[in-house]
Amino acid sequence: MKAIRIMAAVLTLGFCFASAALAAAPAKGKTVTVASDATWPPMEFVDANKKIVGFDIDFMNAVAKEAGFQVAFKNTAWDGIFAGVEAGQYDAIISSVTITEERKAKYDFTTPYINIGQILVVPKAEKGTKIADLKGKKIGAQIGTTGAMEVKKVAGVELKTYDEVGLAFEDMAAGRIAGVVCDEPTAVTYALQKKEYSSKFKIVGKPFTKEAYGIVVKKGNKELVDLLNKGIAAVQKKKIDAQIKKKWQLK
Amino acid sequence: MTTEAKKQIIDVGDGAAIPRKSDRGLFTAWRIAFFGAIGTLTYLAYTKPDPYLNILKFVPDGIMVTFQVTLGAIVLAIVLGLITGLGRISKNRLFNGAASLYVEIIRGIPLLVQIFYIYYALGRIVKVPAILSAIIAMAVCYGAYMGEVVRAGIESIAKGQREAALSLGMNGRQTMIHVILPQAVKVILPPVGNEFIALLKDSSLVSIIAVADLLRRGREFASESFTYFETYTVIALIYLIITLFFSKIIGVMEERVSVNK
Repeated sequence: MKAIRIMAAVLTLGFCFASAALAAAPAKGKTVTVASDATWPPMEFVDANKKIVGFDIDFMNAVAKEAGFQVAFKNTAWDGIFAGVEAGQYDAIISSVTITEERKAKYDFTTPYINIGQILVVPKAEKGTKIADLKGKKIGAQIGTTGAMEVKKVAGVELKTYDEVGLAFEDMAAGRIAGVVCDEPTAVTYALQKKEYSSKFKIVGKPFTKEAYGIVVKKGNKELVDLLNKGIAAVQKKKIDAQIKKKWQLK
Repeated sequence: MTTEAKKQIIDVGDGAAIPRKSDRGLFTAWRIAFFGAIGTLTYLAYTKPDPYLNILKFVPDGIMVTFQVTLGAIVLAIVLGLITGLGRISKNRLFNGAASLYVEIIRGIPLLVQIFYIYYALGRIVKVPAILSAIIAMAVCYGAYMGEVVRAGIESIAKGQREAALSLGMNGRQTMIHVILPQAVKVILPPVGNEFIALLKDSSLVSIIAVADLLRRGREFASESFTYFETYTVIALIYLIITLFFSKIIGVMEERVSVNK
């Protein structure tokens, strides 16, 4: 009786290993770890089920599928997200990263995958329509973003940087700052779609920058850039990106 | 009077180690760390102005904000602490209960959470500038710790002192103001100094609510230049120089006060 039990246990164990091996087998290609600061709806954010979702996430998954690799997402704070890719804590960043000359000097980018612009959000009562109209006031932006850099360029306004753009909007609701600058899709989500804010804020003017997002990898990691570019090209050719845009209501 | 025999030293806290003449080891360690930090910073700025000198040029207004928050919060915290400490030993049940409840609640909540809470809660009710919210949040937290220091300080004064004052015809209030508190100050000064340095270091937490203190300025610099290692080296050295400078001052003050007439 005892021997049978042991045999059964061994068999069960064996099955476990076998099924684990089988499950792993179809996953061809390597796993690429991708960091994302999931505080930037609708591009990347954490949904009610604590899952990272958004345009960038769907896009990355599509790229991975086309190029034949696996993706593991890692929610990472924006402040320091570049340092992490440099230190090799993850392989790439997809987090609404605008391709800029300064960033290109330090990191490698894939081909652009979406075009976006910065836009100004202000309280409903505000009459100004551009950053320069808010002279002598404080304008908020997320630390280290192109939005923050745009505010800094304008003399006479004080830039206030936040760890997350959501905190900037909350501070504007409390009347501590006079405006927030961020990417247009995120501005739309916060100012028009969030119930608590849509009655308080408005988006003014048109996007005033022309920017393109790229996926970031460590400088010199040509192998990964090529792999990602292959995937991006396929996604764009098959117009999968247009479908994802539609899903997240992007223009 | 034989208060010396009963004198207690309250020497716990998370501030910097206070250099005392009696502790030779710490005294030399202080010198090496303090002058070493200044030397390193000067050397880096001189030999590699990009980025080190640029960082040093970028952060001074942040240092001022760090001082503002620290000084504002410590003054408010001492006032709160005195009230709380007196409340904790008060026979008035309402006063005592309120003070104890305050200490109990505050000490059970992480400072970071308190800062977030007070900042955003205040934002809903009244329009308070960010820096004032930060000061209030830090003071509310440290007031509770300070209250415990004050209580321990008062309780460390020999019972005979109080009895003697009362038998001389002083009332409770006079006894507290003229006899107990002046002696308690000596005992509580070292831990208050310790709290001050702990508060100075903890003030870096307010960078989370977008107050442009030393840490925030450093983060802003790093996030655009991507010189994370260099920036945080400088920020750490500046904090070190500031806390060591104050720990020395507190050490000297302590010695002055502890000289018995």
